[in-house]
Amino acid sequence: MAKLALPEESYADQFGPHLNYTPEGGWDTREPDKLVDTHCCFCGVQCGITLKVKENRVIGFEPREDFPVNEGKLCPKGVKRYMQNEHPDRLKSPLIADPLTGFRKASWDEAYSKTVDEINRIQAKYGKDSFAFLGGASMTNEKAYLNGKFARIALQTANIDYNGRLCMVSAGAANKIAFGIDRAASPWEDIPKAKVIILAGTNLAECFPVLTKFIWKARDNGAKIIVIDPRVTPIARTADLYLPVKPGRDSALANGILHQLIKNNWTDEGFLANHTDGWEQVAETVEKYTPEYTEKITGVPAASIIKAGELWGPPETSMLLHARGIEHHTKGVENVLSYMNLVLATGRIGREGCGYGAITGQGNGQGGREHGQRCNQLPGGRDINNKDHREHIANFWGVEESSLPYEGLTACEIIDAIEEGKIKGLLSISFNPLVSIPDSNRTRKALEKLEYFGCIDFFMNETARYADVVMAGSLQEEDEGTVTTGEGRCVKLNQSVTPPGDAKADWKIICDLAERLGKKDYFDYTGPGQIFDELARASAGGVNDYSGMSWERIEQENGVFWPCKGESHPGTPRLFEDKKFYTPNGKAQMKGFEYRPPAEDVDAEYPIIFTTGRVVSQYLSGTQTRRIGSLVDQYPEPLCELHPMLADHLGIQDGDILKVSSRRGHIILPAQVVKTIRPDTVFIPYHWADKKAANQLTNRELDPTSKIPEFKVCACKVEKIEDAPNKKYELAGQIAGKPPSSPIKFYPKPPEHLSAR
Amino acid sequence: MVSPSFFQENEFFLDQSRCIGCQACVQACAECDTHRGHAMIHLEYIDRPTGVQTAPVVCMHCEDPTCAQVCPADAIKQDDDGIVHSAAKPRCVSCSNCVIACPFGVPKMNNGYELMMKCDMCYDRTSLGKKPMCATVCPSDALYFGKREDIERIRQEKPVNEFQFGLQTVKTKVNMMTAQENENIPVDVADFMAGATFTLPETRTGAPDVANTAVFDLPEIVKLAKNEPVEELQV
Amino acid sequence: MSQNPKARAFTVGTSLSLATVAGIYFGSGMLEHFDPALFWYAVASVLAAYAVGYRFTLWASRPPSRMYFKRGMQMIFGGGPKYKSNNAPSAAGEIAKSAATNFAAQNFIRERSYFRWIMHLCLSGGCTLAFAVTFPLVFGWLHFTTAPDNAEIYNVVAFGVTVRTFSIHSIEATLAFNALNISAVFVLIGLFMAGYRRLTDAGERATQTFYEDILPLILIAAVTVTGIALTISYKFFDGLYHGSMVWVHLLSVVALIFYIPFGKLFHMFQRTCALCVTAYKKKGAKEEQATCLVTGEEFASQRHVDDLKIVLDELGLNYRFTTEDGKEVHYQDISPQGRRRLIALNQGKLLKR
Repeated sequence: MAKLALPEESYADQFGPHLNYTPEGGWDTREPDKLVDTHCCFCGVQCGITLKVKENRVIGFEPREDFPVNEGKLCPKGVKRYMQNEHPDRLKSPLIADPLTGFRKASWDEAYSKTVDEINRIQAKYGKDSFAFLGGASMTNEKAYLNGKFARIALQTANIDYNGRLCMVSAGAANKIAFGIDRAASPWEDIPKAKVIILAGTNLAECFPVLTKFIWKARDNGAKIIVIDPRVTPIARTADLYLPVKPGRDSALANGILHQLIKNNWTDEGFLANHTDGWEQVAETVEKYTPEYTEKITGVPAASIIKAGELWGPPETSMLLHARGIEHHTKGVENVLSYMNLVLATGRIGREGCGYGAITGQGNGQGGREHGQRCNQLPGGRDINNKDHREHIANFWGVEESSLPYEGLTACEIIDAIEEGKIKGLLSISFNPLVSIPDSNRTRKALEKLEYFGCIDFFMNETARYADVVMAGSLQEEDEGTVTTGEGRCVKLNQSVTPPGDAKADWKIICDLAERLGKKDYFDYTGPGQIFDELARASAGGVNDYSGMSWERIEQENGVFWPCKGESHPGTPRLFEDKKFYTPNGKAQMKGFEYRPPAEDVDAEYPIIFTTGRVVSQYLSGTQTRRIGSLVDQYPEPLCELHPMLADHLGIQDGDILKVSSRRGHIILPAQVVKTIRPDTVFIPYHWADKKAANQLTNRELDPTSKIPEFKVCACKVEKIEDAPNKKYELAGQIAGKPPSSPIKFYPKPPEHLSAR
Repeated sequence: MVSPSFFQENEFFLDQSRCIGCQACVQACAECDTHRGHAMIHLEYIDRPTGVQTAPVVCMHCEDPTCAQVCPADAIKQDDDGIVHSAAKPRCVSCSNCVIACPFGVPKMNNGYELMMKCDMCYDRTSLGKKPMCATVCPSDALYFGKREDIERIRQEKPVNEFQFGLQTVKTKVNMMTAQENENIPVDVADFMAGATFTLPETRTGAPDVANTAVFDLPEIVKLAKNEPVEELQV
Repeated sequence: MSQNPKARAFTVGTSLSLATVAGIYFGSGMLEHFDPALFWYAVASVLAAYAVGYRFTLWASRPPSRMYFKRGMQMIFGGGPKYKSNNAPSAAGEIAKSAATNFAAQNFIRERSYFRWIMHLCLSGGCTLAFAVTFPLVFGWLHFTTAPDNAEIYNVVAFGVTVRTFSIHSIEATLAFNALNISAVFVLIGLFMAGYRRLTDAGERATQTFYEDILPLILIAAVTVTGIALTISYKFFDGLYHGSMVWVHLLSVVALIFYIPFGKLFHMFQRTCALCVTAYKKKGAKEEQATCLVTGEEFASQRHVDDLKIVLDELGLNYRFTTEDGKEVHYQDISPQGRRRLIALNQGKLLKR
């Protein structure tokens, strides 16, 4: 579609985000008909939760204490997640773009016909690969598998990728390189048994709040906690050691710590000799990373680096947890591998209380990347360019090996290819690239160039406004299936209600489209249960082996850890217990990396480091959470965090309205002056759209291996808008349509006559 | 109904210093049947400009509640389990005596309802033998409901239920965690009162200033910001 | 008057009882119009008057309630502490306005929920109407006579004076003779709503007690049902069981009257305090505000803070601190928000985090 038919506000008026504050039926009448044990729809922790259902509507929740990971615990998003159901913005029928009203209601037949006609037309005119598919990592394993199969068999395009590309692919790629398997080494139960824990680039308390349970248990057991972050996050506040790393300098910091381990003989030479390759090169690389040298690069004081070595070196057990803070970089893979060196150098892996783990940000961040939804991957975590793998899957699917596409473009590259006119059509599901991909102005230009754009979603997300056809899909609670959590545990989601109105389950929409594309035989499923069975069989023999799992077993055992190679196989909560890695020679592959600067460093024009992240009350691009009133109230709109030292120099006070700009765009928002951030860095959370989008500023440069964009560091400048009409946090309530009533109040300074000593 | 031993076997333990400020408790509190969309728990930043310290405050359920004593309408009742309830709806005259006299700052006045509502330890749940909502969902166990022997075994901190507010001693049903050497929690005003008013110390534990823990070159940035010539950029 | 609250309460209770007796004696024209059939109702009323007076006085002499009544009186008649004020509203006007919104319309209950508002209006309206009819009849203050020349014309005589005259076929007559039945219908509607709520609402079920919440409903229901039964008995069944039912009704009414001073229903007297409080709050809002020593924000009227300090002293609670330089800090000068902050800072300090 070309440009939007109507102004953005008009779409917002019609389709939201509007705020839902009250449960269906009100607060007084909440006696449920039934209780459904399932999981939260948000992050990779996948907390167990019980939904209260009355007359096919979700009316509330009950903590689910029998699920061992969260034992009833939830974060605010989990508590209020039920309010997305029966939301006034919920799409209940297919919509087709209309020049006068934005969209008009349509029948499924019309929506399908238009979509299939356009697919056929575009592919006939420009070739198979000119039509791309974008999936999401919030969807079940079943859907991830189905998306991959749909792209390869029905669309026959190489260009399928997913929004996990914006999430944890650096960790995935690094894990694959180092260990031959893309998974956390240990279950979270191992965390409390560790004597020292590094949290590198993970704002654990805000992004995975429930995991703080494990951290505090470890502390109760006497563990020391090291937090590496440019901001004092809530978990950093009470940490034993806080390393305020300068954004984009993570690999150097890891090198600096490793230098200390070698210097003090805290390495496990026996383990290194027997079970790893590449140690010598690593040791050689980090030799020059003395505390002083490392301090100069990373902005972490030499004394703190020495202290980190002292804490990490001697203990018997340790755990290294990391997230997007070290992964969202043009050297994301290098960062992760550099940190893995700290794990391998001490040999603390494959036994109780030891290991590493990337905490997945998306609901199915782990499972969504295993079953063929990625451009380079076939089910079972197989390689789409590997002849044996291709043949195996082609046989399994009953198609010619030659008909399978080879590796295609990754998510950001697909957007670029659209902008460059190489891709003309797009079908996307559960993905909101306009908010989530860096340089949103460029993404917008790309969307305007599409000849056809079809969108499957439950709400009209900001990207869907550009669609020609929007197909009303299903919310998590309206379908069933499995997801694999950040620790590699595959859990079962149970259906609470059926999709409202004419909306359909996502898997059904995909299968219907496949049927109309003439591939009914390959997509003739009775339900997601059948898809799971096929997925499990397809994964057999691959690294990501699910073949021993069934829905019944998963539910009975509160989840099963892959690899699980048969019905009698117990699953694998902890990897590498035999010190055998999944690499060709069974040894872990170590590699040292010389620090290199971020793609865009500060300079005279843009002198301040810009970084982004999350707040606890919002999830990803906010399609769901920006619609839940009490979550919005908690943190209504983005604020720009900056240190009072920087603020003083720029003449900025708390609450002033700022213009923060990079080479790609700017954002206008209030300042939050806090001592909890590096004075050379500013931070803006990214969950908001349009003019409130932090990703207007971020850099699109990609990691050469993982193709993850550099969300976490670019250069910006900050100016105060002198005569801004809205002062203080008043701005916050405007879009929300209701004054904020956040129980968290910002304490003003005492009046002057009182503060005089 | 709940077995009489439920409140004897299980107690509420509060460790504000563990709080991560996520507000799961606030969101969950509003979900209770006796609260009907209103959160009774308090969760606030201590001083956001200087740190991310936050503190959840539930009703401590005093043994001899000041709120009930200052109530002109006999509206605040303590039941046999020691739970101090929201004001009785027919009686409350919404005078706010309880709100401003409670030593812990717990009661909330709902002005539209002309009714004081407060944390009742989720009596709709606890009276059925379920844990209070906030202590069930709290991710960091800052709010914990369970057996005393468990918490004494698990935690390094020690639960106490006595507070000293100047000359006034207040004993509570809810326990607060503190260091092993303390027998009670002295609420020290003097330490934070410089002269006539409250002042936070320049630096304090629990609120590290990144400027003191990081190496950075602000003049460099400012020079850059002012477009002054810079000799060489730092790595 | 005696300073001992119990003695004072005894005095007030006794006076109220005696006043009721006197009211009955003189109001009924030296018992000329007193209906002996209603004798036991009158006795119960006299005893209940004692109990209400006693209970009310005890309650009103507790430091916090006494403070509000005292300030209320002072607002009307003058006196009491003075604060800087801009444009304080008239206390009498505020009390009158508050009586209208609080007592009659009960707007605050509507805010809580429409269901409960209608329920409460039915119950309080029905009961008030019933009492307004019953007590004057029981006390002999009100009686009906027929016109000497026409048996179909009724006179309403109050305190010996004829106040109205109407035909027994008029609507007015129907309303007057059926006033109790009409009130019973309202009360029954309210009772059904209340009963439904007490049975189904999870929050109420958790916190309700038999004595406070269920018993009053049972008592009101008993009075209403037996009252209606009396009507049905003589209108449709020629007075079947009427004799015994009269006693059952009497018993239920006496039980209700005796419950009033000791249970939930006493709130109708206690709400008088709300009138003082409303005026007090309005006045305080226009006056000088107290600033929290911790947050530096205004949090209540200075009047309220100062009065609470007196109340705390009277209650024997001493929230005073002495700082190192010997200055006294009263905890009451710290706002709820400031208190929460102080406690967290102290807790964190002790644990060094």
